[in-house]
Amino acid sequence: MSDYDFDRVSVLLAEDSPFIRSLLVNSLKVLGVGNVYAVEHGGDAIHFLQRVKNEPMKIGVQQIDIVISNWDMHPIDGMMFLRWVRRHKDSPDRFVPFVMITSYTEPDRIMQAREMGVSEILAKPFTIKNIGEKLISIIERPRQFVHTKDFFGPDRRRQKLEIAGPERRLLTDKSEGVEIIRG
Amino acid sequence: MASSKPVIVRFYRFKNRLREKTAGLAPGSAGISPEALAAAEQALSKMAEDYPDWVSGLVGKLQEQHGRCVDSPEKRNEYFEAINHIAHDMKGQGGTFGYPLITTFADSLYGFTTKRAGDISDNQVELVKSHVDAMRAVIRGRVSGDGGDIGIKLTDVLNAAIAKYQE
Repeated sequence: MSDYDFDRVSVLLAEDSPFIRSLLVNSLKVLGVGNVYAVEHGGDAIHFLQRVKNEPMKIGVQQIDIVISNWDMHPIDGMMFLRWVRRHKDSPDRFVPFVMITSYTEPDRIMQAREMGVSEILAKPFTIKNIGEKLISIIERPRQFVHTKDFFGPDRRRQKLEIAGPERRLLTDKSEGVEIIRG
Repeated sequence: MASSKPVIVRFYRFKNRLREKTAGLAPGSAGISPEALAAAEQALSKMAEDYPDWVSGLVGKLQEQHGRCVDSPEKRNEYFEAINHIAHDMKGQGGTFGYPLITTFADSLYGFTTKRAGDISDNQVELVKSHVDAMRAVIRGRVSGDGGDIGIKLTDVLNAAIAKYQE
């Protein structure tokens, strides 16, 4: 098995706790991530991504490969930031993998993030192993993106299950009204 | 797609560029090297040494808010909001740095400061103090991990306080 080379990878991190922020920056760097850009809250993160879109040469960042964001931040929290990334016309990449860090573990909270198009949830308190697992999942198991009238984000069906009975999904790849975009 | 029907759903299926970037184009499995993970673990343990000092700052802030609850009962809702926020931060940190008891106590504090209706009683304010005391004991004694017997004792004392003051 070969090792990942994270040298060319750029991560944007939004975390308001200085202690956790420096822990994450440190950990990502030790894991070999070439570029880690850390900001204090969602507003700064949005501002940063706007600059990536509008003046990439000036700030020296062509693309952010992975976004990692805390949920509970002021004044702009992780959910508002995620909504902007997935839906706003100024977002430089609406498909970027987005990891939400949270101490909220209530199921309806997790569901809320999923409906907003989160890629992975990293629950606090986390370990280095947890961070590694999320990175592996993002790289090895990316999901197709789905766009319907009320959802945009990674496919909420993670598993490919063999269905024994008849197909009950309303739409398949061949249905009318289904458009597949490859790139 | 020359369909006259409107599109109901779009599926976007892209090449896995991130995998190409990190693992190259060669097929076969790739992963994070155990050495890199071990180095990151080590960096974390080093930071964990500073954690008790960091968290005692937060406990100080909790104590400050508790003092305000005692001095200005009419503003308790506002202070409980601040306490709830600090507790939320703390519950997310303790376990990462080897102090799961801080996470447990912060979780309990977070829980009872989240759902509150009407006036906040003296008992509830007293309960904040019990949590602050339990956290202080953890930090003072550098009680990491589950804390063994001391951990059980601290948890029992806190639970007794919860039973006593809960309305």
